[in-house]
Amino acid sequence: MKKPPFSIDQAAYTNLLAGLNNLHFTEQKGNLSDFQLFTDDQWLADTAVIEQLTRSRGEWQVDLIFASIHNPLRFLKRHITANPCPKRAAQQGYYMRRLAAKDQRGTLTVSVAQLNLCAN
Amino acid sequence: MLTTKQRILNASVKLFNENGVDAVRLQQIAEEIGISVGNLAYHYKSKDTIVESVYEQVIDEFLHIFRQYLQRPELADFDQQLSLYYRFFKANQFFVADFFKAGITETDHTTAWQQAVNKMLAQLRSWLLFHQQRTVLRAETTPGYYEQLAQSVWMLLVFYPILCTMRGRPCDEITYKQAIWNHLKPHFTEQGLAEYRADVLPLLTY
Repeated sequence: MKKPPFSIDQAAYTNLLAGLNNLHFTEQKGNLSDFQLFTDDQWLADTAVIEQLTRSRGEWQVDLIFASIHNPLRFLKRHITANPCPKRAAQQGYYMRRLAAKDQRGTLTVSVAQLNLCAN
Repeated sequence: MLTTKQRILNASVKLFNENGVDAVRLQQIAEEIGISVGNLAYHYKSKDTIVESVYEQVIDEFLHIFRQYLQRPELADFDQQLSLYYRFFKANQFFVADFFKAGITETDHTTAWQQAVNKMLAQLRSWLLFHQQRTVLRAETTPGYYEQLAQSVWMLLVFYPILCTMRGRPCDEITYKQAIWNHLKPHFTEQGLAEYRADVLPLLTY
């Protein structure tokens, strides 16, 4: 049995065309300021990153600290993860730092296997 | 380099246009591209399968034109669609001629074609409405007026090449487009006429 060819209902098609027509009236160009979000974070591309391990609520908390290389007083601290095992927390912090920091030679790689994730 | 299948389809379209679908024999198609009937039979079992593939291809081409609908809001955008329509109806006249037969039987491709034609009319109507909203076309004087205009534009689009042949006049892309734009011109507002002169007219006079 051959499948009948796809067909669209006449009224639905007219509606669809009306929608296409409307696009030309409603869609307008955006402003450059809409990209503010990207320019705001641009400075993070030129930062030195260190990891910080602190004990908090019975776990080892991993934070990354980003400091601008042009102005060290401009810095940002972000909580990344927490782990009850200090060795694991250190390891995760190490790889997370390598992911976040500027890669000078462009040769560093991090694969998910290195993070030694355990599903348990 | 086209595949043999594609060459068979192209030759079939050419012969269908020249002789009508019923009058073409497999032998003629094979001769047209210089292969044996046996080779032709290897690619297509019967004439019906060729006809079916040709219709499928033709309807595909037709639907491709619809996808160009209103890519840009200017009047000149429609001119590109007109070029496509011209090429399509010039190349596939046999398809239209098929519908002149008395007592035509309903097949898959006639239904597909009917649907496509209804789509084309809906597009033309919608295009007219859009430009009315843009104040390029005048507001409808009576309700349903643009529905009728869409139908007459449709008739021009489909039958203008045939009209020219019947009158023994040459029909090229420019005269085809001019006929359609001249049909629309009386409905333009001042703004529409200005846009027409600035954007469309240069395309029609090269």
